[in-house]
Amino acid sequence: MHIPDGFLNIATVATTCAVSAGGVGNAVRLANKKLGEKQVPLMGVLAAFIFAAQMLNFPIAGGTSGHLIGAALAAILLGPWAGVLIMSCVLIAQSLIFQDGGLLALGANIFNMGIVASFSGYYIYRLVTLLLGNGRRGTLVGGFVGAWGSVFLAAIVCAIELAVSGASPIGVVLPAMAGFHALIGIGEGLITVAVLSLVLATRADLLQLQRI
Amino acid sequence: MKHSFIDQYSDRDSFIHQLDPRTKFITTLLFILAVVLTPPNRWLVFALYLFIIAVLILLSTVPIRYVLKRSLVIMPFVVLIAIFIPFFKEGEVAGSYNIWLWEVTVTYSGLQVLANIVIKAWLSILSLILLTSTTKMTNLLKGLEQLRMPRVMVMILSFMYRYIFVLVDEVMRMRQARDSRNFGGKRLWQLRTIGNMLGTLFIRSYERGERVYAAMVARGFNGQTRTLNRLNFTPADAYFGVGFSLILILSSVFNLLY
Repeated sequence: MHIPDGFLNIATVATTCAVSAGGVGNAVRLANKKLGEKQVPLMGVLAAFIFAAQMLNFPIAGGTSGHLIGAALAAILLGPWAGVLIMSCVLIAQSLIFQDGGLLALGANIFNMGIVASFSGYYIYRLVTLLLGNGRRGTLVGGFVGAWGSVFLAAIVCAIELAVSGASPIGVVLPAMAGFHALIGIGEGLITVAVLSLVLATRADLLQLQRI
Repeated sequence: MKHSFIDQYSDRDSFIHQLDPRTKFITTLLFILAVVLTPPNRWLVFALYLFIIAVLILLSTVPIRYVLKRSLVIMPFVVLIAIFIPFFKEGEVAGSYNIWLWEVTVTYSGLQVLANIVIKAWLSILSLILLTSTTKMTNLLKGLEQLRMPRVMVMILSFMYRYIFVLVDEVMRMRQARDSRNFGGKRLWQLRTIGNMLGTLFIRSYERGERVYAAMVARGFNGQTRTLNRLNFTPADAYFGVGFSLILILSSVFNLLY
């Protein structure tokens, strides 16, 4: 889902960069205000964790494989704005270090996998825990649905950006991206559930951290 | 730390390596902007950009084979996103094929769009590889901080850069342990194993983060990071920056006129 440079037209690049800059700016402001200096090393290590976790590929149908995005997990643990901040740093590092995702396309990638994925993942999770309660079942079901929804919605937004830029017609790219990522989302959901259940079993206090 | 895959050739000592990271970052950004803004089918302009990048890579003494190999690792993903274009663009038909039940047509205009996107993506990727393999990550982050990137992000990125190696080592150890225990079988079972591995990795990373913070506080950390190396903007940076921008402006003007 990492869009390289050259796919998006300049209007899409400018719009997504502006929106992402605003979102990240607000995340930075909230982090400075509400989180102490203690959370900074923690967010750095979590960003490194997501980066390392993305190296573990899991198999999907037809010989292809996908990997974790991690936005929903970060947002569930530390809140949606912290998720935006962590994912932005992961995406910046991926673009600079692995050229995975372009530099001008960073605005779009941060918007899709940072802002859209964090917020959708977090609020779907909250909705499910409201319905099912805050117990183990609610947390795990919420984690799965939130993670799946975050991947699915991010893929749809990504497809729309590609279509608007004229890189691919909407009738093709939207079903292709949505269908493929509906499958990847299951993997993301199951892994998020596994991480959450391990956290619940060993360090349940981590689910009560200050969220922003 | 056994793998220096990140900024592998950044400790060399060429003209490009000596440039200020801010100069390199801004010129890379300008270059990608110029590439992305180039109208379709300006093959001469694309050739010029490729020539510029090739000269810079030669000047930087980073092995060309390494740069090409790195760029070719990414290109399959680029092509994967772009591969549908020739089949769905309307225009003069270049060829029509019957694949099982589908009648598939490829158009010339579609092929042109594909070629343009692939060349633009490739040029941008080459320039990014040049940037990261001639600039130490710590210096690049320092440069970004002075270009007004928020401090909290620079700090997260610095911690991330420091701990990626540790965590990647950890992942590789876990993967080795997993593979030596006959990893395989049904897909669902694999996902469960990967989920448990990531869960363990997460708890270990988190606890490492807590220990790191405690160690930093014990050494007087109060939210500020201090480093010894200073960046300095030299006349060479000014010449390079101005010269490079002039070439890009000239080629953009050429694009507008013809």
